[in-house]
Amino acid sequence: MKQRFDAIVVGAGPAGCTCGYSLAKAGLETLIVERGKFAGAKNMWGGAFYGPTLFQLFPRFWEEAPIERYIHRHRFSLLTQDSSLSAEFTTKKFGEPPYNGFSVLRAKFDHWFASKAEQAGAIIATGLQAEDLLWDRNTVAGIKAGGDELPASVVIACDGVNSDLTDKAGLRGKLLPRDIKQGVKEVIQIPRHLLEQRFNLSGEEGIAWEFIGSFTRGIPGGAFIYTNKESLSVGIVAQLSALCEKKIGANDLLENFKQHPSVAALLAGGNLVEYSAHLIPTSGKAMIPTLYSDGFLVAGDAASFVLATGLTLEGANFAIASGTAAAEAVIRAKQKRDFSRKSLSCYPELLKQSFVLKDLKTFKKASLFLENSRIYSQYPELACDLANKIFTNDGKPKKKIWKLLKNSMKDRVAFSEILRDLIQIKRAL
Amino acid sequence: MDIIVCVKKIPDPEIPPAKFKLDMESKRVIPPEGIPPVINPYDEQAVELALRLKDKYGGKITVLTIDNDADTSIVKHALAMGADEGIVLADKAFEGSDSFSTSHILSQAIQKVGNFDLVLCGRQAADWDEGLVGAIIAENLSLPLVTLAEAVDVVDGKLKVKRVTLDGYQIFAVPTPAVATVSNEVGQPRLPSGWGIISASRKQIPIWKAGDLDADPSQIGAKAVRRRLVKLFIPVREKKCEIIEGETTAEASVKLAERLRKAGVI
Repeated sequence: MKQRFDAIVVGAGPAGCTCGYSLAKAGLETLIVERGKFAGAKNMWGGAFYGPTLFQLFPRFWEEAPIERYIHRHRFSLLTQDSSLSAEFTTKKFGEPPYNGFSVLRAKFDHWFASKAEQAGAIIATGLQAEDLLWDRNTVAGIKAGGDELPASVVIACDGVNSDLTDKAGLRGKLLPRDIKQGVKEVIQIPRHLLEQRFNLSGEEGIAWEFIGSFTRGIPGGAFIYTNKESLSVGIVAQLSALCEKKIGANDLLENFKQHPSVAALLAGGNLVEYSAHLIPTSGKAMIPTLYSDGFLVAGDAASFVLATGLTLEGANFAIASGTAAAEAVIRAKQKRDFSRKSLSCYPELLKQSFVLKDLKTFKKASLFLENSRIYSQYPELACDLANKIFTNDGKPKKKIWKLLKNSMKDRVAFSEILRDLIQIKRAL
Repeated sequence: MDIIVCVKKIPDPEIPPAKFKLDMESKRVIPPEGIPPVINPYDEQAVELALRLKDKYGGKITVLTIDNDADTSIVKHALAMGADEGIVLADKAFEGSDSFSTSHILSQAIQKVGNFDLVLCGRQAADWDEGLVGAIIAENLSLPLVTLAEAVDVVDGKLKVKRVTLDGYQIFAVPTPAVATVSNEVGQPRLPSGWGIISASRKQIPIWKAGDLDADPSQIGAKAVRRRLVKLFIPVREKKCEIIEGETTAEASVKLAERLRKAGVI
């Protein structure tokens, strides 16, 4: 029974399942180890994912994968203590296959994803934690797990943001709180008809709704609501270093958010069924570790492949694309029977050709810009205050909008600051 | 020594009671969604006891479970721990079985597996805590039975079974084949090893249906149930706190006594 695997993939999230699937499909002896009791048991994301990466892997996957709803509307809101200002976008195409985005629940979705890898021939060992790497001099030669040594030609670390194996391979420094956002999410059950009524949805339609504003108390971050079939994924993300400095727990911010009058009305009568938390590497290109060494590759969150642009926070696509690239690099190495660092060096090249490293390069200044606290307090207040002045009818003579804006800006933000921020936006986004 | 272990899938006992719901109509307990079921901990200890015997005397361990969804997860768990074979008994006809019909199905499967020296069951399943199946299997197969087994050994070709009692233990000498139900005094079951999990996840688990078992149709499923659950409900427990005050301790005591008498407690 004991054998040497061609490849051991550590972690059965989107990166690991993609990588394991592609490797097994190419005929490599592939083992995927997952520490959770089943794939998806310990995995967490906001609850929505976009783009064609999965579609390229499994055409018409939405017909078989446990999808909750397709996202046909995007809404964005600025919140102050008691007001909100929203913008919404929808287009007919979002409601047609191959769809632009989906809401999913990980416990079901990852289970499906792992089963695809298993069908392709990969062995999925759940409830098994990779405790350490196995070394042959300076080359990674497998993993230690469950008290056993499991030898392999190559190990692909898809073990998430706190990637223990990347640390053990000596490929990255310490993670700093400044480079990390903490996500906290609740899944709140609401009867289907009530949910569809509240969010104006019909059939399988869904909405992705992002928020920024006073509920984060100036801490860089935001909140989201995604609609599932009969529940809502409601959460916040907030920069870890700022949470530490201000001694605020991320869950307090989530409570803040949930108590906002516009949000509370959406959640009323709901039943909390799941609570989870997750760290998100959000400093983009600056925090990417060394991506490969002899017999070793890193993909997904473990490689900090997450794109944060303020309006979007994308990780799953990057996980899937980097899992595909890692598999491709390993397949080429297998053909050459050479799993050395030199042979695996095509991995970053493949990533550069795909959107993974391109996007992270394009937005490399975004994370610095997103630390600007004006985005999270002054601007939402300014916008809501202005809207309030425009829409409130108090029977007094009306003023021109420009005058109202100047008045709203007083004590909040100076023209010079706005100008500076606009220039930063141009550079960063 | 060849051993057959019967295991059952139950809702995770770690789930807080408040998370369960009751369906009064069908008299069913509905566990919360999203928390995967587990192998009954007593059954896991039965697997552990079987593995200790295998470590010492060799032989083969076969794990049996009834699961109408044909879910192989708990059988795979036992295989990952070190058991050799696993079989899932799944058939629509098994649905609604009580302890008697469950035991009939298991007894038929045990006979089909054939060669065995010992059948082990957990002392009870941690969902309904009835603890009947092991005993009924022994009755069905006309085999000697020892309940609450803590340890098993082989002496002069006979099984030496240590049985837990309230304040001590008994030792029984039992001819093989025999049935024993295993108690938690066995201790911590072993964790699956890396290779154990890998080889278990590779293994194809055979699914046996009612037809494969030569089971008596009148003995299985909801229609064979010999007992009827009359009522299933969550008891209402009310708590109240009242502070009895008084200028002096004596005064407060008198008031307390009066209050207790009024409440009918004394």
